[in-house]
Amino acid sequence: MSAVTYLEAISQAIREEMRRDEAVFLLGEDVGTYGGAFKVSAGFLEEFGPDRVIDTPMAEAAIIGSAVGAALMGMRPIAEMQFIDFITCGFDQIINMANKMYWRVGMPVPIVIRGPSGGGTRGGPFHSSSPEAWFFHAPGIKVVVPSTTYDAKGLLKAAVRDNNPVLYLEHKLLYRLPELREELPEEDYVVPLGKAITRREGEDMTILTYGAMVHQSMKAARVLEEENDLEVEVIDLRSLTPLDREAILESVKRTNKVLIVHEDTLTGGIGAELAAILAEDLFEYLDGPITRVAAPDVAFPYAPPLEEAFLPNADKILDAARKLAAY
Amino acid sequence: MPTPVKMPRLGESVAEGTIGSWLKNEGDWVEKDESLAEIITDKINAELPSPIAGRLTKILVKVDETVPVGADIAMIEENADVSASPPAQAAPGPDAAPVKNPEQAATPVIEQSDTSASDGAGEAQATTASQRRDEEERQRISPLARRLAREHDIDLNQIAGTGAGGRVRKEDILAYVEQRRAAPAAVSAASSYATTVVEVDMTNIARWLEKNKEDFKRREGYSISFVPFVMKAVCEGIRKFPMINSSWTEDNKIIIKKRINLGMAVATDEGLVVPTLYDTDQYTIAGLAKQISAIAQRARTNKLTLQDMQNSTFVVNNPGTFGTIISVPIINQPHAGILSMDAVVKRPVVIEDDAIAVRSMMYLCLSFDHRILDGAGAGGFLQAVRTKLQSYGREIDVY
Repeated sequence: MSAVTYLEAISQAIREEMRRDEAVFLLGEDVGTYGGAFKVSAGFLEEFGPDRVIDTPMAEAAIIGSAVGAALMGMRPIAEMQFIDFITCGFDQIINMANKMYWRVGMPVPIVIRGPSGGGTRGGPFHSSSPEAWFFHAPGIKVVVPSTTYDAKGLLKAAVRDNNPVLYLEHKLLYRLPELREELPEEDYVVPLGKAITRREGEDMTILTYGAMVHQSMKAARVLEEENDLEVEVIDLRSLTPLDREAILESVKRTNKVLIVHEDTLTGGIGAELAAILAEDLFEYLDGPITRVAAPDVAFPYAPPLEEAFLPNADKILDAARKLAAY
Repeated sequence: MPTPVKMPRLGESVAEGTIGSWLKNEGDWVEKDESLAEIITDKINAELPSPIAGRLTKILVKVDETVPVGADIAMIEENADVSASPPAQAAPGPDAAPVKNPEQAATPVIEQSDTSASDGAGEAQATTASQRRDEEERQRISPLARRLAREHDIDLNQIAGTGAGGRVRKEDILAYVEQRRAAPAAVSAASSYATTVVEVDMTNIARWLEKNKEDFKRREGYSISFVPFVMKAVCEGIRKFPMINSSWTEDNKIIIKKRINLGMAVATDEGLVVPTLYDTDQYTIAGLAKQISAIAQRARTNKLTLQDMQNSTFVVNNPGTFGTIISVPIINQPHAGILSMDAVVKRPVVIEDDAIAVRSMMYLCLSFDHRILDGAGAGGFLQAVRTKLQSYGREIDVY
């Protein structure tokens, strides 16, 4: 068995779930004949036929609305957003329909909405965003963000099998990154939703992060060990909703300093909620200010130098970590 | 936050110092290590270097006033630059802790941040804290540090922060707790001394000195004695047994010193002083003779500096000049040991083939801290020193 990419892991997860359960089907723009904009569903139409691999019009409200309806009829749809930026067009169907349905009528809505998110690919303002905070705020939908190939497959399978709406945010920069190639288990596995993982253990500081920023944080942590003799713990949240509070609190209780890193913009982001949780639950365990590294509160820039300046990276993490360590 | 400048301990058993003169006025800017004042003690006079760069805001002790070692004598307002070190660390000067036992009283080294929980230390630090309050400075404390202090029943005023801007943080509290826990143990285990003696045949060195001493002095302008030979041999012994050149810390750790700075006991009219010969191992025998002569001269003319009185790692003492034949020297804490060289005297000894010959013999007495060294280590070191001293032939190259 050969090592597969993050993208291939996503593809494998969908294919295996569709083979396992007749109720699972894929719908989205260009997912059928074209095989998906990034080729996630290449060959799917041939294998599963047009009833289970459905090309839709360019209308995200229709894609998500149809998925919600199908779920209420007992199906388990996977709705692809060609770029996650366009999920805003389907916002009402998520917030007012999918999220609230169980509370309104007691019927579960087992849908997965997935699509490429994140920047660093010169995608500009409409093809680079990280929309997690909007949905993180809204009760009723789970939000997961895989950072590794193993997790990409395991989290997606868990998402498909979950009875709640799940937003699955894959990072397009990681799709074909050679260093993320990984040999995956032959047998069926899932990565449970709501469980963070410690990527690196340390006693001096905790970095809470997810998605592509896990890799930047790991890079920074290695430099901090070599140059500053700091042992930094890196926790990959993997699931934003539900959050693994236990893992977060356990780590910060031990290290007493915490740095939160996300690619999404700062204000009202995931980091804001994490900071609030830590301040509420661990105030007297903190030995320095809860610190955030995130993108600035501006629209995602197109110009390459501006994109570089906008995105958090290992250098920015290093600066913040050193200040926090010296605090 | 202003940093207090404290009265340094200038030499062993010195408990107080007098301000000879202030070299700076209130309001003057001083650089780090720039001389602030002239300090007079029973034993030596020295200029006091400023522990930090900043503005001399307050002179607390007037000229001719005498205050105890560790008392605040002036306040310096640090540069506002955030890179400036926090006060507790920045002050390389002596600390406020009083001498706890006679061994410590004999210490020529000015110890840093000995914040044992003895009453005196508390008082000295409380003074600093109240001064801080007077100036309406708010101590910065992390939430965690505040909780830990409460749990360990610690007065936060006693703790100097090492965080940015002098903030008290986790490591400061934990270090304090650790120190408080370790302090009684360290004292109770303090005096496990042992002394061991070897006899060294100094005949070849004695003959060489007899023959070359006068010429050497005429040529070089300073004298040569047995001492530089012994120091040289001690350095070689330390290289073989580095534990000799170590110290026992307050928190019960052994620190092996990389630099070899031998302290050298010098008798002056005012009493015994033990100035430091830095990097002793870097000199030739003649080079050592020159350094010894220069330091002894400074000691006898009251010109030793603060630097001269700090940082020794081991002491070589020479009571032999007074004719003693066996000594049991007292360790200069926190050193691991001290070596005494006694008088070189002619004695009939049994040499090879059971013949009896008149040889110039000397006892070397090593007192050592039994917590750091055992008899084997101490004996091995003495053996190495003796072997080196006995290795010289009739002709000796001292350069």
